[in-house]
Amino acid sequence: MRLRNAMLAVLTVGIALAALPWLLSDFLLALALSCIMYAGLAVSWALFCGATNYLSLATAAFFGLGAYVTAWGAGALPYGLSVLAGGMLAAAFAALIGAAVLHLRGAYFAVITFGLGELVRHAITYYEKAYEGTVGRIIAEAPETTTVYWTVLLVSAGAVATAFAVRESRLGLALRGIGSDEERAQTLGVNARRSKVLAFALSAFFAGALGAAMAVRWTYIDPPTVFNPFIGFQTVLIAMVGGAHTIIGPIASAVVFSLLTEFLRLQFPYLFLTLLGLLLILLVLYLPGGLASLIERWRIGDRWRWRRGNA
Amino acid sequence: MREALLSARNVSVRFGGLVAVDGVHLDVHAGELVGIIGPNGAGKTTFFHTLSGVLVPTAGRVVVAGEDLTGLPPHAYASHGVARTFQTPRVFKEMSAEDNVRFGLEFAGRTRQHPHDAFDEAGTILEFLGLADAAALPAGGLTPARQRLLEIGMALGARPRVLLLDEVAAGLSHAEVDATAQLIRRVRDQLGLAVIWIEHAVRVLMNYVERVAVLHQGAKIADGDPRQVAKDPAVIEAYLGEEGGAERKAA
Ligand SMILES: Nc1ncnc2c1ncn2[C@@H]1O[C@H](COP(=O)(O)OP(=O)(O)O)[C@@H](O)[C@H]1O
Ligand SMILES: [Mg+2]
Repeated sequence: MRLRNAMLAVLTVGIALAALPWLLSDFLLALALSCIMYAGLAVSWALFCGATNYLSLATAAFFGLGAYVTAWGAGALPYGLSVLAGGMLAAAFAALIGAAVLHLRGAYFAVITFGLGELVRHAITYYEKAYEGTVGRIIAEAPETTTVYWTVLLVSAGAVATAFAVRESRLGLALRGIGSDEERAQTLGVNARRSKVLAFALSAFFAGALGAAMAVRWTYIDPPTVFNPFIGFQTVLIAMVGGAHTIIGPIASAVVFSLLTEFLRLQFPYLFLTLLGLLLILLVLYLPGGLASLIERWRIGDRWRWRRGNA
Repeated sequence: MREALLSARNVSVRFGGLVAVDGVHLDVHAGELVGIIGPNGAGKTTFFHTLSGVLVPTAGRVVVAGEDLTGLPPHAYASHGVARTFQTPRVFKEMSAEDNVRFGLEFAGRTRQHPHDAFDEAGTILEFLGLADAAALPAGGLTPARQRLLEIGMALGARPRVLLLDEVAAGLSHAEVDATAQLIRRVRDQLGLAVIWIEHAVRVLMNYVERVAVLHQGAKIADGDPRQVAKDPAVIEAYLGEEGGAERKAA
């Protein structure tokens, strides 16, 4: 029931957002695109990391891999197929590295996922130079902006719907158990390794698909552009500020952040980055559950008051 | 002779130079309620770790219902019907008490059906344990004593064939211990489980189990009828200087 309502909400909002190309100027549509992309990235990141309390810095790697699938397939592969293939390549890569490093936790996992991302970037740089004789690629025939917008919207809506479905599923319960006490969850029958690899790959699928979908926005693609660590950090920050154990939190925070980034970065570039850093520090120190946990706290407080009032 | 439901064969665990468990043999059959006693540091908890797959023994085998599970991860033990509690409660703190019990039902307990099926719902299990009023509360907010009860509920949710209880009576009053013991016997009788119950205080267990094994410095030094074991010179020796003197007279 809860799941059906959530799906209906995703569908309704998705359809409403699909109408934006007829309502917004090009500039505002580009802004909406950025909001929706970050919402998809943050929700899919939180799908795995929020429940399990893992800190993955591999988002940029998945995103970049997806983007390169589009670049490699340009001219040969239809846009829609590139997006699908980009997601699947990222998911396969995540399953592979996940199986190897998901037994690590905390800072070790964060550092190693970041390192693996760098490794992929360098590997692709090397491959392109050595075997293709190029440092970057030009995407000649990009689809219409509206096509890109609808594709990104579809992928992001898919990420949100998947996040809701996982939350209500046994996989979601297993992930929460793993986040709370992995060994205890195992002694109750959870195959922790399988659950983690599956969820990690699922979350990578959306990051890869978004990378593949967004790639055509840059006419020139090279590794530093699409494996930009900033995309990864921004995603983590958005999800954590919003509250990574929720779904609405990262969405709301993605919208606020993308708008702020756009306005502040143009007006006060240094101030913006300083503010970002400050926000992250405050968050980690005082509100590890993100802003969503504030609302929860307030709600629980409300319930207590209500109970006492009735007692 | 029937095949043992759980069979520890010559199980040893070493931590560097320390031998925490030393060549322990233990066969437990369906319907049996076996106590394990031993002073603090005797290796009881470590032995449970090997029986539940949390630790791989340095030597020896662990066989469940005829299947050698040695070296497999804990979820394999759970899905073969071994469920345990932890001495220090390890409930899922942020989840409700009900979800804590539901957890086992959704995973290890999913494939097994109890013969009487009394415990096929989290609500029934909570009620049985007297935790019905806490169903919706976050487990982390319960008192330690209730968290220990909830640990039993989590294990029951896994629909075990073998139930391992690690000092579930610790810190309880005499009346509470008695209630808990009745509860454990009822579960055993209703579901025909094999139960192994660890307690480091001798008196607690002796009255409630039909068989007791004694661990001392990792080795099993006695195994049999509680009254016989209580008179065993090796056991008396092991407990001298512990709280045992007074406890033994009482038992
Ligand atoms: N992870 C570990 N590393 C090193 N030594 C340990 C570890 N766990 C337990 N021990 C030691 O093994 C011995 C047995 O401990 P334990 O099984 O907890 O005893 P009991 O449950 O009977 O009180 C103790 O000496 C304890 O200090
Ligand atoms: Mg112990």
